[in-house]
Amino acid sequence: MTPRSLVITGGGGVGKTTLSAALAVAGAEAGMRACVVTVDPARRLADALGVDELGNRPTEVPSQPLLWAAMLDVTASWEAIVHQHAEPEVAQRLLENPFFRAIADRFPAAQAYAAGEQMAEHIESGRWDLLVVDTPPAGGGIDFFTAPRRMQEMIGGRLLRWLTGAGIPGRRALYRVTARPALKLADTVLGGPLLEEIAEFLLDLRSLHDGLSHRARAIELHLRRATSVVVTTAHPTPMREARRFFEELTPEVGRPEAVVFNRQLPDAWTKARNLRGNHIDPRLRTAVRDNLNRWADEVRRQHDVKQGFAARYAVEPIDVPWAEAAPTSVEDLARLLAAAPALERLLEG
Amino acid sequence: MLDRKLLFVSGKGGVGKSAVVASLALLAARRGLRVLVVGIVEGIGIASHFAAEQLGYRPHRVRPGVDALEVKRSDALDEYFRLQMRIPRAAPTKVLSNALNVLVETAPGVREIVSIGKPVFEVWRGGYDLVLADSPPLGQLFSYLRAPHTISDLVPGGAIRQQAARMDNTLRDPATTGLLLVATPEELPVLETRAALDRLEAEPVVSLEAVVSNRVLPDLETTAADLDELPAGSHREAAAHHLALLAQQRRWLAELPEGPRLPYLFGLRTAGEVAERLSEVWDEYL
Repeated sequence: MTPRSLVITGGGGVGKTTLSAALAVAGAEAGMRACVVTVDPARRLADALGVDELGNRPTEVPSQPLLWAAMLDVTASWEAIVHQHAEPEVAQRLLENPFFRAIADRFPAAQAYAAGEQMAEHIESGRWDLLVVDTPPAGGGIDFFTAPRRMQEMIGGRLLRWLTGAGIPGRRALYRVTARPALKLADTVLGGPLLEEIAEFLLDLRSLHDGLSHRARAIELHLRRATSVVVTTAHPTPMREARRFFEELTPEVGRPEAVVFNRQLPDAWTKARNLRGNHIDPRLRTAVRDNLNRWADEVRRQHDVKQGFAARYAVEPIDVPWAEAAPTSVEDLARLLAAAPALERLLEG
Repeated sequence: MLDRKLLFVSGKGGVGKSAVVASLALLAARRGLRVLVVGIVEGIGIASHFAAEQLGYRPHRVRPGVDALEVKRSDALDEYFRLQMRIPRAAPTKVLSNALNVLVETAPGVREIVSIGKPVFEVWRGGYDLVLADSPPLGQLFSYLRAPHTISDLVPGGAIRQQAARMDNTLRDPATTGLLLVATPEELPVLETRAALDRLEAEPVVSLEAVVSNRVLPDLETTAADLDELPAGSHREAAAHHLALLAQQRRWLAELPEGPRLPYLFGLRTAGEVAERLSEVWDEYL
C-alpha cells in the first residue's frame, strides 16, 4: 500500500528534525508502521530515538514499537544509483572520478536527488503506513522537490549536448567543430586539458541518462503525492524561508499543506494585569515587570508575523509551544505532540 | 576591525550574519568610510536589511556611503574570465561561455572561486575603504575560502592558477583580510563555530578577526528562588522563561572565545530596524 508521506521543510534551526521524529512517534503510537528519514547529518535524531548508527537502512527504534528511523547517506545512495543505471565498467570509472565525487558531495541537486530516491524506495517497499522525511535547510529544501528535474537536465543536458554535438557521439567524435576552438582557448587559460577531462566524464555520466530520467519521473510523482509541511519560527530568517516555500513549491509540487510555528510563546503574556501582592520586594517587582514587558513585545511581534503569514497564504498555522529542554527520549517526543494536538491532523490523509 | 579592507562574515544559518554585516556597514559609513557590502551567494538576504527591493551585480547605493551588491553567478563568471583572466575580446564568446559553464557546474572549486572572487576584486580595485562580505553559512564557508587551493590542486598551471595564488595571498594577509564569525549562544551554533575555529587553526586560510555573540539576553535581577515569592501567572512564567534561556545562554557563551556581544532585540519587526539598532551597539564597542 502507499503510505501517508510527509515531507518536512523549513529554514535552518527551526526544529524540523525534532518535529519529524515527533510526528513519526505519534504515528507509531496510533498503530501505524512508521519510518522517519532524516537527511540532516546532525546526530540529534539518533540521540533522541536511542539508535546509535543510522544509515540508509532503517533501524528499529528500541523504545517504540512500530517505529523505525533512517538517515540519508548521500555517498552510498549515489553508489547504488550509479550501479543500477550504468554498465559495471562505466559505473566503476564514474565512482572513481574526482568530478563525480565533487558533484555527488556538493551539488545540492545531487544530494536532494539521493534523498528523493531514498524516499521513493521507502514508498515503494510497502513496508510503511507513515513515512516522515526531514529535509536539509534553506535552498536545500526546495532543491529536494526540483532535484529530479535538475539531475535530468544536468545529465541529459544542454551543456553536454553542446560539448558532444547534438547526438550521443563516441568518445573520439568529441572535439569536433563547435567545441574545438573553445576547448583550445580554455586549455590555455586553465593550463591543462581540464575541459577535455570534464567532457569525457560527462560522456560517462551521459550513460546514466535513460535509466535516471525514467527514475526521476517516478520520484517526481511520489513528491507530488506527498504532503509538504513547512516549519518555521517567527524570526525573520526562517520566515523568509517559509515564504519561499509557499511561493516556490506551489508551482512545483503543489501548495504546502500546513505551516507549523515552532517555539511559540504564550499569548497570555500580552494581557497580564499588574502584579498583585504587597509583600513582593520592590526590586523583584520592577525586574519581573520590565521582563514581562519585553517578552510581551516579543509575543506581539510573533503574533503579527503569524497573522500576516496566515492571511497572505490563507493557511491555518499550527502552533507548537516553546519547550525549555530539547527532547532526549521518545517520551519527550510524544509529549511534544501532546502539547500541540493540531499536529495530529497531519497524520490523517 | 574596521581597519581591514575585507571582512568576511559567516556563522551557522539563522544566527543573524546579515544583520551583523548591515550594522557594521552603517557604522563604518557614519565614520566616513566608503563601504561596499557583497552578498557572496544570491538571495543571501542582505537586501532586506537595507530595505532594498533586490540587489543586482552592480553596486547599488543603499545608504549614504554604503553600496551593496549580490553575486550573480553568470555575471561573476563573466567578470572573472573576461576582466580578471583577460580573455581576448576576439574569443568566440558564446562557445566560450558554454564551455565555462560546464566547468563551473562540475569542477570542484570553480563555482566558489568565482563567487569569492568578487569581493577580492573590489579590494584590488580600491574603490572602497571597506568591503564587507556576507558569506555562505559555516557548512559551506571553507569550500569557498579554500577555493584558491582547490583550484591550484586541480590545474597544473596557466592563468587561473596564477590568479588563484594572488587571491590566496590577499585572503591570508591579516592586514587586509579578516573573518568575523557570528554565533548565538545555543548548542548547535556554538558547536559549529567551535568546529570552524579548530579548522581555521589547522588551516589558516584567513585570519580570525573576532567571534561575535548575537542575541545575548539581558540579565534579570532575580533568581529562581525569588520567583517563589510571586503568584502564579504571566509575570512568573515570563521570568522563569527568561531565567531558563539565560542559563542555557551562559553555558554556551562560556564555550566561545571572548568577543563582542550583541543584545537580543525584543519586539523589532523589520530587518532594517535590527540593523540600525545593532549599529548603535557597535558604536560603543569600536
